[in-house]
Amino acid sequence: MEPVLLRARGVPDSRSIATYLAAGGYEGWKKALGMGPDAVTKEVLDSELRGRGGAGFPTGRKWSFVPKDHPGPRYLVCNADESEPGTFKDREIIEYDPHQVVEGVAIASFAIKANTAYIYIRGEFARWAKILEDAIAEARQRGFLGKNIMGSSFDLDIWVHRGAGAYICGEETALLESIEGKRGFPRLKPPFPAVVGVFGKPTVINNVETLACVPHIIVRGAAWFSSIGRPKNTGPKLFCVSGHVNRPGVFELPLGVTFREIIEEHAGGVRGGRKLKAFFPGGSSAPILTADEVDTGADFDACAAAGTMLGSGGVIVFDDTVDMVEVADNVAHFYAHESCGQCTPCREGSDWCMDILDRIVAGHGRPADPDTLLRICRFSSAGMTICPLGDAFALPISSIVNKYRSEFERRIAAATPLPQKKQPVLPWAGPRPGFGI
Amino acid sequence: MPKLTIDGHEVEVAAGTNLIEAARAAGVAIPYFCYHPYLTVVGQCRICMVEIAGQPRLALGCATPAADGMVVKVESSERAREAREAVMEFLLANHPLDCPVCDQAGECLLQDHSMREQNSAFSTHMTETRRTFPGYERRLIGPHVVQNQNRCIHCSRCIRFTREISGTAALTYKSRGNSTFIDTFDGTAFDDPMSACAADVCPVGALTVREFRFRKRSWKLLSTPSVCPGCSIGCNIFIDHHERVVYRFTPRENPAINATWLCDHGRFLAESLNEQAYLEPQHRTGGQTVRVGWGEALAGIAAELRDAAALRVVASANLSNEELFLARELFGRHLKGEIAVPVAPGEPRKMRNGKGDWLQATDPHPNSAGARRLGINVVDGEGLSRFLYGGAGLTLILDPGAHPFLASPEALQLLRVGTTVVWARREHAAAHAATWLLPTPSLAGNEGTFTSSAGAVQRFVQAFTAPGTVHRTATGAMSPSCPTIASPWGPPGEARPLWLTLTALAHELGVPALDFASPADVFAVMARNDKAFAGLAWETLGGLQQHESFRERQHVG
Repeated sequence: MEPVLLRARGVPDSRSIATYLAAGGYEGWKKALGMGPDAVTKEVLDSELRGRGGAGFPTGRKWSFVPKDHPGPRYLVCNADESEPGTFKDREIIEYDPHQVVEGVAIASFAIKANTAYIYIRGEFARWAKILEDAIAEARQRGFLGKNIMGSSFDLDIWVHRGAGAYICGEETALLESIEGKRGFPRLKPPFPAVVGVFGKPTVINNVETLACVPHIIVRGAAWFSSIGRPKNTGPKLFCVSGHVNRPGVFELPLGVTFREIIEEHAGGVRGGRKLKAFFPGGSSAPILTADEVDTGADFDACAAAGTMLGSGGVIVFDDTVDMVEVADNVAHFYAHESCGQCTPCREGSDWCMDILDRIVAGHGRPADPDTLLRICRFSSAGMTICPLGDAFALPISSIVNKYRSEFERRIAAATPLPQKKQPVLPWAGPRPGFGI
Repeated sequence: MPKLTIDGHEVEVAAGTNLIEAARAAGVAIPYFCYHPYLTVVGQCRICMVEIAGQPRLALGCATPAADGMVVKVESSERAREAREAVMEFLLANHPLDCPVCDQAGECLLQDHSMREQNSAFSTHMTETRRTFPGYERRLIGPHVVQNQNRCIHCSRCIRFTREISGTAALTYKSRGNSTFIDTFDGTAFDDPMSACAADVCPVGALTVREFRFRKRSWKLLSTPSVCPGCSIGCNIFIDHHERVVYRFTPRENPAINATWLCDHGRFLAESLNEQAYLEPQHRTGGQTVRVGWGEALAGIAAELRDAAALRVVASANLSNEELFLARELFGRHLKGEIAVPVAPGEPRKMRNGKGDWLQATDPHPNSAGARRLGINVVDGEGLSRFLYGGAGLTLILDPGAHPFLASPEALQLLRVGTTVVWARREHAAAHAATWLLPTPSLAGNEGTFTSSAGAVQRFVQAFTAPGTVHRTATGAMSPSCPTIASPWGPPGEARPLWLTLTALAHELGVPALDFASPADVFAVMARNDKAFAGLAWETLGGLQQHESFRERQHVG
């Protein structure tokens, strides 16, 4: 496939606006301004573009949820808080082609009639925040942003907002809270952000990759876009392959290729000719797939049919040297650390899972542990929590326990009892001072 | 008006009502910890999960508005029951379960729900080391609130209270995930004018009130509906007491005045109700103080009243409407005396009502509006001094706490000139200058009505029944209200409410029209004759909540 989103990778000085313009940049923005917001939304709707952030929700439909008659301001937010383990595609886009993102943000803002857009970028991406800010400054200088853009009487300002390092702020409502300067706690839905978003105003939140697709859809048309990939799963997708492969990296492929093709052809196969054991198809919060499921199609619907999700497209590959109990433990550590602590099942459950898995890894597993893990996961997912972080730890851990239960049982069979800490018996020294309350 | 079915009970509720409130109306209890009717809905605790017919996932009772035709299953849903059981397991996994030494026991939502629903066959799967917060188990975070973070269930009610109600935003979450804890902002004390409400809204024993901690088990307390005597706003309270000792005030719900809040100033007046400096009537003659019986005292005072050339009565804005009315009728109308109600300047107080509006007051008395309505001469300190200088043979002081001027050397000198009768409960200089001293009980031993500054006439109920009678406590246990095992300040002894002594004096003086049997009878006459109280009926003036109210109170925390 000819590269679309990554066409600038390898081009010298690809970040500058001159290079971008020479490659036909900002043509989509000019065309969109001539089309009008409704036509832009319709074009994106027709392209069947689905959100690349993880949920795969149709982008055009998301835009159309913004109330048409809302009198006050509305906002577009570009989610560049790429924090999902195994995901590094947005960084790649911003690194080589930041103007693609700026143009996408501009077109999407125009489609929902937002005059202010925020790009929320994770705090660790200091370098890429600077790249975006430079790109925005260039675009503004050329008149692609600002007041009365190219005589269209449409105004747009884009602000880059850096996060402070919480995974949860990639969740759209926690992200909005963070933009507002508050603690990154996901909001209870409904109301959905399209109605009550940032600063209480209608807000659309799109992923960097989603927005990067938009200029291409406008320039080349919905039909071109939907000719790539499979029905309902259209367009190019960036797959980030990491783990035990020979050539890890970001690959742009049409949706619907199989994971076998991604891993074996593009990523050069499993390292050292070893056997594939398992892989996460879409970041560590997607249920794991085994080597037998490697022919699953890498698109939203095929993944859903296989009981997992495409997520962010972060393919994490494990070869046969990997102990799946330790994978589960690693996942649990990440989510226990990143749980915001707001709602009960996720706060208590993620930490509890981590404690159990730590104990099994330390060689002190108990026979009831796999079932306890499954029970915790069951009641931390499927609507038991405010945001999907509950599912994000529960689904991978329960899938690992279900698919690799024998590994757990083997460890547990060889386990020793947890050594009891001896509590020193101290003589009673009278009441402690300072506790007269 | 959506009509819905909850566990088979049909109920019609106002639009926008959530399922918890709709279920309450239908007589079905949906458990909750983080929900509070006067705070924003956050849906954090997840215990209020219910099943709605036709919806694949369980819904939150707190965040789902009732809709027409909705069929909700709470108790009858196996899925919802399993979810509640799981949430309880999550919450209890790291809870210390130290109920025997926890001061919240008995009024703890977590404990209540465990008792109500937890299946006895259920055994937790938790075998890990429990999460603790070393150094945060017994921490004084402000002047009145003690924190035990180990018990916290992270419901954020206290945080929302300080953000949305008291407005100080003094409390916040710190850290993240399972290490999240409640704290004040760095280096500041939890110094909030309503700080103890944060402990009230705490569903567990994570925040407790320093003054009440370990003084009495909550299930032993009787709650009597009353009105806060702290200022003229007139917040509704319960007097929580046991064996004639007042242990605390807790807010009683009234959306128009105090919602479910109470300021620290008012709340901590509770302790002062236990002071009883004077236990029986005293008569001072020739420098000698003798204890006398009520019969002798009333006859003596009646004689003084009959013989008095001129009569001055210093009433008080701390007296009930009935007492002020009796004083006005008896001393003003029948005995042609002069009456004044001194009102002292007070500190500004404020209270947030159920609509979120602030009510303000600078008047430190609970009933100055009542005095004004009854047409009694209301005076300030200067006016009081002029009133006392006016000179008279007989001066009656119905409440020495009416104004600080009454304790001044100047006032005492004036009082010593003629004959003075003082009704008093707490130690006061004026009582020593009195010819006759009559003991009165506290608010807990009296009944009547106060008129708030906004004009609401509200009843306070007598908490202490007559000696010798038997209380039935909230748990059904009998407790004798025997005066001999009462408060550390001694038994209330012979103290009699002012209204009773005034009716007795009316009897002595032969004014049968004022010889009432109860404040209710006084009020009936006031409602008949006085424009200010026309149309009001004693029974409808609030204060009619059940005495065993602490279960009732649970829904507000």
